[in-house]
Amino acid sequence: MTTASVIDIGGPAIGRQTLWRYWRGNLKGSEYLWALAFVVPYIGVFLTFVVYPVVYGLWLGSKPSLYTDLFSDPIYQSTIVNTILFVGIGVNLKMFFALMLSGFFMRPGWWMKALLMLFVLPWAVPLLPTFISIHWMLNGEWGLINNVIYHLFHIDGPAWLNTRWFALGSVIVAHIWKWMPFWTIILLAGRMAIPQELNDAAKVDGATGLRSFLHITFPLLANLYLICTLLSTIFTLGDFTEVFFITGGGPANSTHVLATLGIRDAFDLANPRLGVAAVMSALPVMIPLVIILMRKLRTTEVEL
Amino acid sequence: MAILTRRSVVRGSLGLVASGVLARPFIANAAAMTAEVWYAQGFVPEEDAAFKKMAADYEKASGNKLDYSLIPYAALRQKAISAITSGVVPDMIEVADFQLAPLQAWDDRLVDLSDLVAPAKAQFFSTALPSTYLYNNVTKKRGYYVVPTKVAAIPFHIWKSLVEKGGGKIADLPKTWDAFMDFFKPVQKGLRAAGMRNVYGMGYQLTANGVDPIGTFNAWMIAYGGQGLVTPDGKLHSDDPHVKDAVLKTIINLSTAYKDGYVPPGCINWNDADDNNAFHSKLMVMDFDGTISTEVALFHDKEQYDDILTRGLPLSNEGKELPAQVAVFGPVIPKGAKNVAVAKEFAKFMIQPTVLNEYLKAGLGRWMLPIPEIAKSDPFWLKEDPHRTAYGELTLIKPTLPFYEAYNPAMAEVGAENVFMSAVIEVMKDGAKPEDAAAKAFKRAETIFAKYPIAQS
Repeated sequence: MTTASVIDIGGPAIGRQTLWRYWRGNLKGSEYLWALAFVVPYIGVFLTFVVYPVVYGLWLGSKPSLYTDLFSDPIYQSTIVNTILFVGIGVNLKMFFALMLSGFFMRPGWWMKALLMLFVLPWAVPLLPTFISIHWMLNGEWGLINNVIYHLFHIDGPAWLNTRWFALGSVIVAHIWKWMPFWTIILLAGRMAIPQELNDAAKVDGATGLRSFLHITFPLLANLYLICTLLSTIFTLGDFTEVFFITGGGPANSTHVLATLGIRDAFDLANPRLGVAAVMSALPVMIPLVIILMRKLRTTEVEL
Repeated sequence: MAILTRRSVVRGSLGLVASGVLARPFIANAAAMTAEVWYAQGFVPEEDAAFKKMAADYEKASGNKLDYSLIPYAALRQKAISAITSGVVPDMIEVADFQLAPLQAWDDRLVDLSDLVAPAKAQFFSTALPSTYLYNNVTKKRGYYVVPTKVAAIPFHIWKSLVEKGGGKIADLPKTWDAFMDFFKPVQKGLRAAGMRNVYGMGYQLTANGVDPIGTFNAWMIAYGGQGLVTPDGKLHSDDPHVKDAVLKTIINLSTAYKDGYVPPGCINWNDADDNNAFHSKLMVMDFDGTISTEVALFHDKEQYDDILTRGLPLSNEGKELPAQVAVFGPVIPKGAKNVAVAKEFAKFMIQPTVLNEYLKAGLGRWMLPIPEIAKSDPFWLKEDPHRTAYGELTLIKPTLPFYEAYNPAMAEVGAENVFMSAVIEVMKDGAKPEDAAAKAFKRAETIFAKYPIAQS
């Protein structure tokens, strides 16, 4: 009985102590205070600059009537189509070309390194002057591209920015041109991490070229490729720069994507809540993408 | 070197908090003498220098401080909307478009400045007052929400050398609207024949974004007799036969000139600066664009500056004088501003005739002075420079009327959606029938106006 009472009294005391120690991360005395001192500013910054803007944005776009207005707007409907095309075609073509080019840049030689340096330039130059220059280059009457076409072939080039499909196509090409170098470098780094022995062994077995790519390189790069594609999709869904500076959403508001429509609604129509709602309407796609991305990043198999 | 201990960190932090608490009243008192001001950046450096001088003069005269930022026009609008929406506002914002103030006044987000503007009524030109007399949907009455400091109208800008090169003569410029527009067609043909492949007779914004296309559409519509689209009581008159006829004629004329190749095809997707750039590159003989910023940008290139003819509006096709729509810009004070008194005092300082005159003159006269007595007596405005003279006559001497947005903020939404210019684009681009495009535009305008009922006193 005495023994039992000792256990009865001591049990919870040990449990509380263990829980307290666990809560303090096994830190003792002043270590705990120092840890708090370091983490509090971070929590403050996180709450101020991450949590607050997100919650404020959700609150701004929370009125259901905003979505009624949005969905009944014919510009919104064409914007959804544009966004799907811009992201779907732009990201996938860009990633495919990046994958192919990463193989090209694996070749040895100093000239390949020099070429890679030139290739990276579009990504390295600042965004805004680049897209404003492209806007001018695409001018149907006075732009560089049509003037080159005229001087070479004595014909007038198309009015790139005057029709929806040419304008949207121009934006997609500009997006690929601008961002492909970055993803090429990422995939190149992935390729370089593949042990050379695997390729050597495959060569011995007679697998070279396409077969080596299909059976060794691509399976090992698949996870990295998927993560890059997901990341790029998330970036591109929220990106407004290409459309904003190249077509301005025109002609006649026919090339808006969700991000630029949000800006138009918020500032041109002076209706920030509607602008936020336009951007928020991408969440049903964005959230699953982020979840898939997080799951992929947790993959523990030996994959690149 | 001092050793950082836990005690010293805690002691130091407590000391900082205590000093902050004790010093707070004095910091607040210092802030009460400082007004935060957001102003639009000028088109030329001289405009910014002029604002800085005026601000310095005010600081010297009052002992107050102005914490000002000069922000590009488009960014200023975005910052202003963001600030007013979030409630964290500066003490003064300059509105440099004709949509922001009517919409924000409607929502009761601006301070009524009638006590400031009303006593100075007599000094302003007649259109300045209705342009800033905006409706508040909470108080259900109008008030002066903008302090009139700058006037803008839309003149024609014409390259004299291109007209001559194309076989025309400036002296032969017709006096009536349609004939005036037609004048540039043979000039374009002449220039093309002279080997200028991509030069166009006429240039104006036919886009569905920005404020330029609104001015273009309205000017044509007024020229064809549609001035009564919106009346000062804020009512839309989409059933008025004169208005309907004028809107239809505007759609037909603007789209026909485009389809016939007398307007650059790219103007369907120009941004705010594209027409200026194209005109400065001498790729258009004539441009219809707001203010004389086109000329002022070339102020230091005398040969080019003198080669431009600034021209007001032609007469109507019936030979009558046409009123020009003028925009009146100036500062507003958003509700929630901390130092309303200082902001108001600065605005009051600014509208003193001599101060405002010096400020706008130093900015090279891009904006017209809203005080006719001074403009008439100071040779700078109407005598010394042909561009300013033409612009001054257009804005202050000849008949004017406000932009419709001042009558009803619904028009700000109609303008932001570019409802009427979208009708022109539908005809130009999609081959829609002008009648159908006009009917669609009227229907959309009616839907928007239904959201903005104005109580009639």
